[in-house]
Amino acid sequence: MGKKKQKIVLPPELPPEIPEDEVEVSDDDLRFIKENRSYASLLSTLDTHSITKHVTRVADAKDDALEKFYEKRMQKRALKKEKEETGLQVDRADALPIKTLDGKLHYRTATKTVSENDLSEEGTAEDVNVDEGMVKLTKAEKRAKLKKMKKEAKKQGKEVAKTEVEDTPQAAVLAEIKEDLTAEEAFESKKCKLAELGSALLTDPESNIKLLKEMVQISKDNNHTIVKLGLLSLLAVFKDIIPGYRIRLPTEKELEMKVSKTVRKMRYYESTLLSAYKVYLQRLMALENKPLFQHVAVRCICSLLDANPHFNFRESLLDATVRNISSTNEAIRKLCCSTIKSLFTNEGKHGGEVTLEAVRLIADHVKAHNCQFHPDSVDVFLSLSFNEDLLKYEKKEEDQKLKNKNSKKRKNLEASNQLVENERKKSRQESISKTREEVEADYKAASFAPDVMERREMQTATLSAVFETYFRILKHTMQSIGVRPEANAGALSTAVEPLPLLAPCLKGLAKFSHLIDLDFMGDLMNHLKSLASGSSYSGNTADKCSKCLTVSERLQCCIVAFKVMRNNLDALNVDLQDFFIHLYNLVLEYKPGRDQGEVLAEALKIMLCDDKQHDMQKTAAFIKRLATISLCVGSADSMAALVTVKNLLQKNVKCRNLLENDIGGGSVSGTIPKYLPYSTDPNLSGALASVLWELNLLSSHYHPAISTLASGISSMSTAHNQVLLSKTSPQLAYKEMSLDQELCFTQQSGNIKLNNKRRRTNGPATSPSIGSTTVLSSFDDNELQRKLISHFMVHHDIKENERLRKELDRTALSLQLYEQYKKQKKQKKRS
Amino acid sequence: MRPLDEKETSVVFEKLFKFVGNNLKNIVENPSHEGPDANPGRYCFRLHKNRIFYASESLVKRATNVARPNLVSLGTCIGKYTHGGSFHLTVQALNLLAANAKHKVWLKPQSEMSFLYGNHVLKSALGRITDNIAAGDGVVVFSMADVPLGFGVAAKSTQDCRKLDPNGIVVLHQADVGEYLRMEDEL
Repeated sequence: MGKKKQKIVLPPELPPEIPEDEVEVSDDDLRFIKENRSYASLLSTLDTHSITKHVTRVADAKDDALEKFYEKRMQKRALKKEKEETGLQVDRADALPIKTLDGKLHYRTATKTVSENDLSEEGTAEDVNVDEGMVKLTKAEKRAKLKKMKKEAKKQGKEVAKTEVEDTPQAAVLAEIKEDLTAEEAFESKKCKLAELGSALLTDPESNIKLLKEMVQISKDNNHTIVKLGLLSLLAVFKDIIPGYRIRLPTEKELEMKVSKTVRKMRYYESTLLSAYKVYLQRLMALENKPLFQHVAVRCICSLLDANPHFNFRESLLDATVRNISSTNEAIRKLCCSTIKSLFTNEGKHGGEVTLEAVRLIADHVKAHNCQFHPDSVDVFLSLSFNEDLLKYEKKEEDQKLKNKNSKKRKNLEASNQLVENERKKSRQESISKTREEVEADYKAASFAPDVMERREMQTATLSAVFETYFRILKHTMQSIGVRPEANAGALSTAVEPLPLLAPCLKGLAKFSHLIDLDFMGDLMNHLKSLASGSSYSGNTADKCSKCLTVSERLQCCIVAFKVMRNNLDALNVDLQDFFIHLYNLVLEYKPGRDQGEVLAEALKIMLCDDKQHDMQKTAAFIKRLATISLCVGSADSMAALVTVKNLLQKNVKCRNLLENDIGGGSVSGTIPKYLPYSTDPNLSGALASVLWELNLLSSHYHPAISTLASGISSMSTAHNQVLLSKTSPQLAYKEMSLDQELCFTQQSGNIKLNNKRRRTNGPATSPSIGSTTVLSSFDDNELQRKLISHFMVHHDIKENERLRKELDRTALSLQLYEQYKKQKKQKKRS
Repeated sequence: MRPLDEKETSVVFEKLFKFVGNNLKNIVENPSHEGPDANPGRYCFRLHKNRIFYASESLVKRATNVARPNLVSLGTCIGKYTHGGSFHLTVQALNLLAANAKHKVWLKPQSEMSFLYGNHVLKSALGRITDNIAAGDGVVVFSMADVPLGFGVAAKSTQDCRKLDPNGIVVLHQADVGEYLRMEDEL
């Protein structure tokens, strides 16, 4: 009975588009079926095969299970066929014809089956049918797109008159179906389409190049996901089919010339590819500004640029990438940065041209944005690599040229001796040399080997752009520092301008310091000096100004200056007095929590440990100050300081006067008879007149390593014949200690107890031998690795624990909340 | 013996400033612990027989007891006025300058002797040099063991020194400790 109900329900859906005569016929059929059920199957099959107007009604009417079974089978078959035919897009009309009972061959058309399926789905509302219907429908959708082709197929398969009659109603039905399609179905269909087009393109790009346009069209869809998918699949296709050379479109002259078939084909292929690529890029650029698509678009741009830096339109790609390099969106920025970095590192792909362009673009951007940029954008420069062999090569060439000149001169001399009798020979020689030059030029044009001179020029240009950026940043920093004190004096509320680019700039300067021109060096050093000083000499405003640059930044300035000097110094050993003064003062300003201990350790290493000679006064002042500082900072920092102190004392024997017990320092103390702890100049502090009492305190430090090191230092002057001890750098010591601190504090406490016990047994005030210091301060890699591993394990566990705890808390809280809510609800109900 | 007048003071201070820069303040304000006074006095400059002396206040007070013709020297002689009326620093000022020097040059051991014989400092003799020396600055010359050897005037800036050929003159000789032997009578 339910089926009957369905029949009643169904008719109203269709009639509007169906002419009246059709309705009449269908009524007859209905009646007929009702009367003779046994004939129904035959009739329905007949109907379905010969596409008549009342096809739909008949389809509704079939209720036999057998009939359904047949239908399903046919659908399945059709489906299979469809699957086989995907990609080729063969019309259904070309599929197997069906022979009816009366022996006529009927060619099924796609539209018919579609409508049939649709109706059957609606009528029976079976799950299986629904699924199948979905698939069918999606295909039907495609068909709708290829309507013209279908029409032709129909004409082939059937009598023209019939199709003409049917055309209008079917179109109407199709339109309706289209409307009925859910967004999901459309989405599926487009997805499939994209996949088909893409795979077709990839299998044979030359013959299917036209499909590119279609794909681009799809990517202009209204649906966001489709657009994204389209862009990405286009990206995959382009990445794969873009040739390894730059396409140059033929000029008009060339077009006029007669060419072979293959050349014409190639030209067509290339031009189509290029135009599609152009459209695609334009689309990308347009979408890049829309927040919804930005990520996808940028991703496409980046990977295109990464894959084909040599291809046409790379300028626009590069421009877009650089534009987004300081994007506020973390993911986009990372993407762009990594792309640019890979551009820099894989210069072979494009021969350095793109590098130059990118660097120039970034420089322009920095200029345009007045140095208010994300540091990542300048960090990118760090991955640049400059080939120094090119310089050497050029020198060699010059030498050769000189030699050639000399030999030529000699030859000329000889020739003059022989008199100018043979003019003919001369002209012949000239012509030979001319042709030789031509051949050489041709060879150069043809060969793919990069021209050394060109590359050199490119590198020089790149380098100058990079340094231009760096110097601009430095200059900007200087200016903002210069302006800031006034602003502070005027109104404290003025927003402090951040200097985001300074840190990467300093890093880059340190890295490329060996490439800086000597002429710039003076200015650079002056800038660095004033940056490092933080204008702390300007009296009262010093405190305000020192806020401009953090201590770590200023330390970094000192480090950079030293690196620049060291890398450029061939014969001249320049003593950077001012930077020592800055370091001397910065050590006092250093605060363990706020500033980076690594930077201080690095500065100590580079400025104090690596330098061979020092003034006695200066060294003594540094020793004294570092010892003082190590009393009031964490164990890691103080370890770094102490290692430096030890290093300095080892090198400067005279400074061991500091370890003697009498104040005054004797004859070496110089003109300053008294230690001035607050002096700003290490040379004038008179530190030699003092005693390192700090070591005494430090030798009872809670940390065993420090206490042993301190007592080792204090016994240095007595143990004269010691072998040079292990040379750990302050950096290493710092790292080791900062790991230690977190890692094995429990062990340490045990050690301390042990130490104390040992001391008690050994009698009072026997300091541990120096040997123990070496053991402690010399690290082998395995040990370090082991410690690192265990440290990270512990760290991981702690993190995990924290996370779990948080989760627990949250759940508990939510439970509590829920209970409260319940209570309140109850109360409300009661009230 | 008399204090310097204004013109003389400016001449002396300008000369010293070339060598010590802002450390001139230290020279002037250096506390002296000589004499019986509990609170430290200062050092001061005195002119006596065309020579400039740097002496502590207490010493100056005591020196007033000696008649002018009888007084040969007091404190440290740091320079003298020539017959032409210009002021020259003498080698005795070396200690004062070395303690407060702003620009320094360290000599290689093998070229120390050459300088001590009164020759200029060549680039090949340079062991080390402080940065940003400008041409015309006063430079104190040290041995590599930080012993002050003398002083002079920079002929080239630090930057130019890099490009200089090894035989170029870096520091023009003014005074060196060798003078104590060579010109014993004049001092």
